[in-house]
Amino acid sequence: MTPSDLLSILPLLVLVVWACALLLVDLWLKRKGVTAFLAALGLALTAGLALAQAGEETTAFGGMVALDGFASFLNVLFPLSGLLGIAVAYGYLKRMNIERGEYYSLLLFSTAGMMLMAHAADLVVVFLALEFLSLPLYVLAAFARPRLDSEEAGLKYFLLGAFASAFVIYGIALIYGATGTTSLSGIVAAIEAGSLGTSGLLLTIGAALFLVGFGFKVAAVPFHMWTPDVYHGAPTPVTAFMAVGAKAAGFAALLRVFVTAFPALDADLTPVVWVLAALTMFVGNVVAIAQTNIKRMLAYSSIAHAGYILMAFVAFGNPATRADAVASALFYLVTYALTSYGAWAAVIALEKQDPSAGSGQAASGLEINDFAGLGRRRPALAAAMTVFMLSLTGMPPTLGLVGKFYLFRTVIEAGQVWLAVIGVLTSLISAYYYLRVVVVMYMREGAPETTREPWLDFTWAVSALATVILSFLPMALFAWASAAGVMGF
Amino acid sequence: MTGAQILFLVCAGLILGSAVMVVTARNLMHAAFWLIAALFGVAVVYAILQAGFMAMIQVVIYIGAIAIMFIFADMLTRRDVRESRAQIGRNWPVAVLLGLLILAGLTALILAQPGVGRVAPALPSGLDPVAALGKALVSPDAYVLPFEVASVLLLSALVGAVYLAFLKKQ
Repeated sequence: MTPSDLLSILPLLVLVVWACALLLVDLWLKRKGVTAFLAALGLALTAGLALAQAGEETTAFGGMVALDGFASFLNVLFPLSGLLGIAVAYGYLKRMNIERGEYYSLLLFSTAGMMLMAHAADLVVVFLALEFLSLPLYVLAAFARPRLDSEEAGLKYFLLGAFASAFVIYGIALIYGATGTTSLSGIVAAIEAGSLGTSGLLLTIGAALFLVGFGFKVAAVPFHMWTPDVYHGAPTPVTAFMAVGAKAAGFAALLRVFVTAFPALDADLTPVVWVLAALTMFVGNVVAIAQTNIKRMLAYSSIAHAGYILMAFVAFGNPATRADAVASALFYLVTYALTSYGAWAAVIALEKQDPSAGSGQAASGLEINDFAGLGRRRPALAAAMTVFMLSLTGMPPTLGLVGKFYLFRTVIEAGQVWLAVIGVLTSLISAYYYLRVVVVMYMREGAPETTREPWLDFTWAVSALATVILSFLPMALFAWASAAGVMGF
Repeated sequence: MTGAQILFLVCAGLILGSAVMVVTARNLMHAAFWLIAALFGVAVVYAILQAGFMAMIQVVIYIGAIAIMFIFADMLTRRDVRESRAQIGRNWPVAVLLGLLILAGLTALILAQPGVGRVAPALPSGLDPVAALGKALVSPDAYVLPFEVASVLLLSALVGAVYLAFLKKQ
């Protein structure tokens, strides 16, 4: 093992060691706030180290992992999303009486799994990273036990996650059977050698099963059935972390594997991805209209956004648009991460434990109608929530518009005009349920009880400001995402 | 047909039959024992493939540890080990049809692969597969990273399981 091997995954190593140490240190800490602070420190350090790696391009451990623009971009995004996951949870865990040190170590482990996913250049590592990021999330979803809905969320997520893993591993087995290797560069070499013959079909089926497995992870229709229940039942900070992190990691795996290894399967897989993207956008947005609970509405919104990002995949086989496809997907992931964290933070500010229901019961304050009167009671919070809803719809002056514009442009350049039309139409549909929240906040009378916590307020305020400011100055982020669009395995 | 082929067919029948019993047995204990039978069949298949070490590991880990843990967990946590509700959903005919179709398709595909039906060459003499496996697991250019990741993964799973299993003291 050369030092350069270790250096290339240094941020990941630091985070894993930090998480293990935090497990031990937490035993002696009476105040869990200190644990939260230490966990945040570790994530900040990791993000800093990942940032310092920008521009490097190498492979390590005999081609198992790659360090390139794609990996270093995501390796900054994941720890930052973990940081926000701690910021929104800090007060919430205390308030809901579930403050335990394990939250922070499990969150760190899950983040490490996501970072490994960004590095993965071998299907064995992809699978291990998938399990590494998912297992802590299953536990986090059930973190509020013995609250029944939280336990249900954890169990459902676990069962469906295991089911999805089976698809992934079946796909990997068939890919291995067809090409005789699990390394992405080896798969490319086997395809280019052109000696696959009937194995070509086996490879396509393997890739399709891989897509199905990760379709579950990113909550694409028709593999989305678990999403509303899990997002609804899990403690809200976990939902926020899961909606952003797990989705981004799932797309990281799909982007890396499809763009580097499977462009040759373009003709067979693009129609499949096309249908998946269209269905996901349509079902997510239409079913969201019927929701009265804000968590379920945001869950369907998260499904719909998986559809928008999937649109970028129809461009993956076209060499001219491939780099743009990756860059626009990453750009949209950042957009979605900022906006969605902000929206979830606003939900957390309104959520409270139902005093009449006892500790085993669900929280209240989660209906969309509970936002009535927020514009009068908390003008800043209501304004921020308005920004998030506009951004999720894709309206100016928010980052959501820029992200969607970039995505649609890539899709049209790839020659899929109809898919872009479906995207625009479903965005119009989505305006109905996003703007309904705004209408309820400003036009209806009500006296919502909200929580003021410094870190929570920090999260939504920063997210809202970034969503607006970055929409006027998107070039830096744009350039960075473009640099990440080039993958060197 | 050679002796190994007959042995394989018997084992395959045993694995599939036991696997069906695992999911259909109403008594959880019986299901656990059928699982042991299926795992044992897989161990024999490993032995037929000349992977003696894997066969041994299969018996020691899967039968010796994991299946026994299942049985312990069943006995310690459940008062009644029988499943009283329906085990098969309403849509089972569709699922069976879909499963059979996929099975037929994949079988046809795999049979069409070059090299099917060829007899596997014997291992070269002097090759120590266990040593090769061990070296691959710790070699930096092979599987040391996945190996280490698996250990951290298991640690996080352990922490999670302990968190879920122990109730917080009120």
